[in-house]
Amino acid sequence: MVANVLRKPRLVSRTQAEARDQRLKVELQTVPDAQQALADVHKARHKEFKTFVADNVEPFAEQWDREQQLPEAILAKLAQWGYLGCSVPAEYDGQGWDVVTFGLLNEALGRGSSALTDVLTVQAMVSMTLLKWGSAEQKHQWLPPLARGEMIAAFAMTEPGTGSDLQSLATGLSAQGGHFILHGTKRWISCAQFAGVFLVFGKLEQHPVACLVPRESPGFRIEPITDLMGLRAAGLGQLHFENVKVPTANLVGKPGFALSHVAPVGLHHGRISAACSALGLLRGCFEESIAHAAKRKIGNKTVGEMGMIRSLIARMGTDLEAARLLCHGACRAEDEHSPEAFEKTFMAKYFTSRAAVRAASDAVQIRGASGCHAASPTSRFYRDAKIMEIIEGTTQIHEDILGKIFVDQAGRFGK
Amino acid sequence: MTAIDKTEIKETVRNFILSSINLSEIKDDDNLFESGIVNSLFTVQLMTFIERTFAIEVGMDDLDMENFKSLNATTAFVLKKNGG
Repeated sequence: MVANVLRKPRLVSRTQAEARDQRLKVELQTVPDAQQALADVHKARHKEFKTFVADNVEPFAEQWDREQQLPEAILAKLAQWGYLGCSVPAEYDGQGWDVVTFGLLNEALGRGSSALTDVLTVQAMVSMTLLKWGSAEQKHQWLPPLARGEMIAAFAMTEPGTGSDLQSLATGLSAQGGHFILHGTKRWISCAQFAGVFLVFGKLEQHPVACLVPRESPGFRIEPITDLMGLRAAGLGQLHFENVKVPTANLVGKPGFALSHVAPVGLHHGRISAACSALGLLRGCFEESIAHAAKRKIGNKTVGEMGMIRSLIARMGTDLEAARLLCHGACRAEDEHSPEAFEKTFMAKYFTSRAAVRAASDAVQIRGASGCHAASPTSRFYRDAKIMEIIEGTTQIHEDILGKIFVDQAGRFGK
Repeated sequence: MTAIDKTEIKETVRNFILSSINLSEIKDDDNLFESGIVNSLFTVQLMTFIERTFAIEVGMDDLDMENFKSLNATTAFVLKKNGG
């Protein structure tokens, strides 16, 4: 069983492989309880994902961040390994992996590069939305190229005047003959710089709608957004739709259901991905911190022998374990198609993104000046972590929703 | 489907809603959406609960508020999807 999932050749030197295997051994020993909760197939895949990240992501993540660009080669590798279609069923050329595996992939990639993981996030958001609400024709037309990684997708919801308040979308569609005319602006759209198709949310006569818009559509212009604090390589952009012709066959779901049914599916998978990506970032902070604490000497003592540093690491390691359990619990609930998967995912994303911000701040603090330089990934972790608290719903939106969910559960306790 | 099945479906859905929403009771024909009883998050949670509990799949063709607007409507929808 294990051999079947490790199906890709390893193109690394023996020295690299030995160093990596030693590190993986240390990682597995660090958090035995969470690992024991995983099935053998999950452990094997997680190891494969970590290997992929150690070989193809970590050595280059700083360069991508500096150049504010993901090279085509790494997107091609994600496609080659089947990662861009990991959750799409085999009948649409995807891997058909369960959500626990999807979470492990996001965690492993998140350790290497939050920006690269964002590609996986939006690919899953659009793919899973199409899988749930797409017509048979839409599924057969769009899912195979997305699953094979021949095309990257983007989820176009946020507007200059619409952040968390989705009801106030200003992007509009109007019926004209046998098609629709789309006009409006979207901002902060991940992967906009290289996506081939966009799932765009707007209103048709005040009814919320979602539609697929190919990149090459006449009247559709993409303006790159650069100089972000974090996720600098994620290819964000501003979208301008000026009388773009959209075939009626490109509407996803029925008019009126885009915000109540269509978007929540994509946002839910986006939250799972973001939570697990933040978990990977948190693990990165932890690993970098304990390695530094064990080796770095001040006088005749290592940093790790200092009580105040141990306090920071204790909090970080405990947050890591708690976040891991929350993320895996959310993924398992989604695999079981449990209605509790939604609130579990909110909790996982809420806790993990905040813990990642704390851990990144402490990781920089533990390293001191060297943690502020690009030679250490902690400076990038620090900038990326804050973005994780904002994407797929801010911390404050999560608190508002979770607070309501918990208060509404009073009836369960007979109060 | 028998009359008992119909009652079981309705009570199962009612219990799920009451365990998730801060209400002491829901009448069979209360409009869940117009009354503000449920929000968009709970809408998809309810849909997921129905899919899982009654082994049905809600697809694009089923996107009609009439199918989910009340306990009676939801019960009728589940029976219809099960060939009742």
